[in-house]
Amino acid sequence: MSLLRVSALAKSFGARRLFAIDELTLLAGASYVLTGENGSGKTTLLRIMAGLETPDGGVGHYRSRRFDWQPYPDWLRREVIYVHQQPYLFHTSIAQNIAYGLCARRIDRRRRESLVAGAIAWARLEHLLATPPQKLSGGERQRVALARAWVLAPAVLLLDEPTASLDAESRRQTIELLRGFGSARTTTVIACHDRDVIELPDVRRLDLAGGQIVV
Amino acid sequence: MALVDASEAALRLLFSGDPELWGIVAVSLSVSLRAMLLAMPIGIGIGYLLATVDFPGRRMLIVVTQGLLASPTVVVGLILYLLLSRQGVFGQLQLLFTQTAMVIGQVLIALPVLIAFSLAAIQSADPRARETAIALGAADARIAWTLLVEVRFALMAAVCSAFGRVVSEIGCSLMVGGNIAGVTRNIPTAIALETSKGEFAQGIALGIVLLLVALGINSAFAFFQGESRR
Repeated sequence: MSLLRVSALAKSFGARRLFAIDELTLLAGASYVLTGENGSGKTTLLRIMAGLETPDGGVGHYRSRRFDWQPYPDWLRREVIYVHQQPYLFHTSIAQNIAYGLCARRIDRRRRESLVAGAIAWARLEHLLATPPQKLSGGERQRVALARAWVLAPAVLLLDEPTASLDAESRRQTIELLRGFGSARTTTVIACHDRDVIELPDVRRLDLAGGQIVV
Repeated sequence: MALVDASEAALRLLFSGDPELWGIVAVSLSVSLRAMLLAMPIGIGIGYLLATVDFPGRRMLIVVTQGLLASPTVVVGLILYLLLSRQGVFGQLQLLFTQTAMVIGQVLIALPVLIAFSLAAIQSADPRARETAIALGAADARIAWTLLVEVRFALMAAVCSAFGRVVSEIGCSLMVGGNIAGVTRNIPTAIALETSKGEFAQGIALGIVLLLVALGINSAFAFFQGESRR
């Protein structure tokens, strides 16, 4: 079943046409890797789908509901989560970082604490809880960011190069967490060049080349 | 020799708990703290809007604010005097020569500092902070609060800087306060008056208090600036 469909999505920077995608359909619960050369527009495409950038034109459909990209609908923000290549962690605690989206959704304290505890266990962050987020390694930050997204059980998760510039062990741990999203029935789109991610089972490939998506 | 005697007398005044001297200190701190309480939300709010919302005239507003950073406090006092005097637009309020008038003047003096420093602090925040808040579904008010908390040390530095400016200003306080003993006489106006009368002891004692306040503020400023760069 189609979850998120984008049609006639175009983006230019000045005279340079980055892409003009006729159609891209993401199926509910499916996992995708978005590949393409550097500068092909992978990050921009994810950021548009997350409402962090506006396209030049195009139409979106979420399930059967049509929406405009500008302004990006608030209700869609609750469904789609984007994680930066180098995630930003707020200058609070790890637990408060994970709870951020739950607070934004006004989840009551008791339920919030239980969900955060679950996310901490899922991402194996227990031993890091006393560490200030700014002192974490790249891999640990990535795990906190994934836990922060996982706890919200998003319908669509957009990840920008989650394994880039991580050491082998951190990459392994991150990939393991990415598999967890697949089983959580979240539709994931992972922009990356990492062969180990591309070759994950049940992952479909979307290639952004020449301004078009090639499935 | 006269300076030594005056300094000794000043220390005696300070440590004997002279009610007149400490009354002047209380007026100074009360007026400046009230001014800061009023100016902080307005200044930081305007700084946030200038940093995050694009609207016509925004650029000009930033230039004007930065220009006002160097505005002489006596000119602020003059304008406010004209507005509050009996023939002025707000003459009916009868605020001239009251602490309220001094508070208004100090709010006007603090605002450009708070706006300019908050704007700089928020603009220098990592752009991913705002995007992360948006991406996690935060509404506008929560996004604003998150961003302000993220740059809290830089904002505290802005507050210290503005407080340092208002607590030591004399021009505006003298013009709209009138230097009335026990009512509107604050540390800077009292120092000027006592010195002009040749009464150095109280001037020196108040100068010591003001220096200690300034030193405390500058230490806090340096601390918060250091924290904001960590």
